[in-house]
Amino acid sequence: MTMRKSILSLSLAAAVAALALGYAPSVSAQEVQITGPLAGAPAVRRLRIYRQGRFEITPQAAFTLTDEYSRTIGFGASATYHFTDWLGIGAWGFFAPIHVDTGLTDQIAAIGQTADSNRLSLPSNGGFPNQIGTINWGAALQVVFIPLRGKLSLFQKLFIDADFFITGGAAFIGVEERGETGPGLCRRDPMTGVLDETSCTLSQTDRASRVAITGTFSVGLRLHVNEWMALNIEWRALPFAWNTSGADVDGRNDLAGDSGFADGLVDERDRAFHFNHMFILGWTFYLPIKARISE
Amino acid sequence: MKRASIALLAGFATVGLTQTMFVGSVAAQDMTFSADEVDTPPAEGATPPAEGDTPPAEGADNGDSLLGDLRQEGTQEATTRDAAPRRTEASEEIFAIQQVYALRNSRLEVSPSWSFTVNDPYVSHPAAGIALNYWFTNVLAVGLNFLWYGGLENESDLNFNVRRSTRLAVPITEYQLGAHLNFTYVPLYGKFAMFNEYIFQWDAYLVGGVGMLRTRPVPVVDPEIRQFDFGLRVAFNVGIGIRVFVSRWFAVFAELRNYMYLEKLESLNVALGAGRQDPATWFADSPSFTSNVTAHIGFTMFFPPSFEYKLPR
Repeated sequence: MTMRKSILSLSLAAAVAALALGYAPSVSAQEVQITGPLAGAPAVRRLRIYRQGRFEITPQAAFTLTDEYSRTIGFGASATYHFTDWLGIGAWGFFAPIHVDTGLTDQIAAIGQTADSNRLSLPSNGGFPNQIGTINWGAALQVVFIPLRGKLSLFQKLFIDADFFITGGAAFIGVEERGETGPGLCRRDPMTGVLDETSCTLSQTDRASRVAITGTFSVGLRLHVNEWMALNIEWRALPFAWNTSGADVDGRNDLAGDSGFADGLVDERDRAFHFNHMFILGWTFYLPIKARISE
Repeated sequence: MKRASIALLAGFATVGLTQTMFVGSVAAQDMTFSADEVDTPPAEGATPPAEGDTPPAEGADNGDSLLGDLRQEGTQEATTRDAAPRRTEASEEIFAIQQVYALRNSRLEVSPSWSFTVNDPYVSHPAAGIALNYWFTNVLAVGLNFLWYGGLENESDLNFNVRRSTRLAVPITEYQLGAHLNFTYVPLYGKFAMFNEYIFQWDAYLVGGVGMLRTRPVPVVDPEIRQFDFGLRVAFNVGIGIRVFVSRWFAVFAELRNYMYLEKLESLNVALGAGRQDPATWFADSPSFTSNVTAHIGFTMFFPPSFEYKLPR
């Protein structure tokens, strides 16, 4: 329901943007009609070609946004070779050694209530931080597209070359989640309907790692401080399904058929789709350090 | 020394006067120094220098210097001006500083938009909005914006799952509408090139103001009994945005804005007995500071669509 509405929201936003562009009168860029000696001349002369034929290496610090239970803080880098000034191909990766519990996790750990009806999802409130899912690392192969470049003027004093970029590619995400429950690990006896409390508590700390394969895309702004260094500000999405809470939230009920409701198991059916937003701050180095100048 | 300076100045003045007389009414940067013109041979029949004319002294200007070029060009232009037209005519003037592409001053801006919440994992407050701004300088505007949330909101699955899994309720609210008085300031503007070919103008702006939100708590702790009516809350907002001009009257924009207010949330405690039915027990003891960070995407139309530059180029 939420995902459908989110998609509807994004679709409406896209529709507004599309309407805006569609409604725009048929003008060419900025209606500037050049005649005379400048007709046919390049739009920009003596342009600093920052990327074409150069390698770019960007050490980064990253953290996730809008997290439900755990914030991920990591460090990584991207490396890109630019065929043209507006197109490159490269790789991105990060490792996340720091995980910070959100306020919701703290609240559950402090005052969450455990009863027989939710013992599988919350064997003990104090142990809840041990059952939540975390993102531990990520890597991607990606295409980098730089459609826009220009310069910023701040209060008419500070002028900085800037460009706007979009990346897209395939990503591999290292995820750690609560292990699947099954026979001997917090399984409700189908005959008696009773959960074994001890094994449930043990299952709270049982962990399982896997690699989620998904797509990734990002948008960002790069501010050039000189011809071989730049500040990199980026937002990235890593959309994939995972069980963030370690709880039994969805699945097929073995007794009552496919209910789409809690099924008495913590397993892959409890993975829910998340967009997984990430904010990245980086510092770019270009190699070779000399940039070419256009005519 | 003083006499030498005066002589030098007089020399420059003479050259300048000569140049002005021959070239006529030229403006700054209308001078041409093309190689073709400099290399043009004297017209046939032109009188060679008379014998006996004083040769240039050693070390004096012999035509290689800038002054020599200027003098030579002026002389040659005098002889060839009528004979050969210039090969290229410029139909536009080039100015050292170009005019701002789209003036905002004294124009009305109408901006429909769609917005959605970016900071709340429990409930989303998408809205259809429209803003009206009047620009009383080129960088400062005052305006109103109106947002309609009713029927568009949705509670996330997270809320339901937390309640079911942990027996904890997260109080949430529902919005109906919002209206705000805003000031907009443009500290940044510039241009960027797409594929190094198409040039677009953009500006970045700061926006802030005060207004009201009509909200109510969503009953999640005791939904069987509690029912809440919408009430008005005073809300402040601040934001940043970027606007990209497609034409002189049409632009697209994206904006990040934080609407902040004090919300009356549902009480987490349920009174026993008759007190459960008492609406006075339904609200939390103290209001909570609430921050709804919202992304807006929309387009902008400026009226009147055309304008005139008041200052000369």
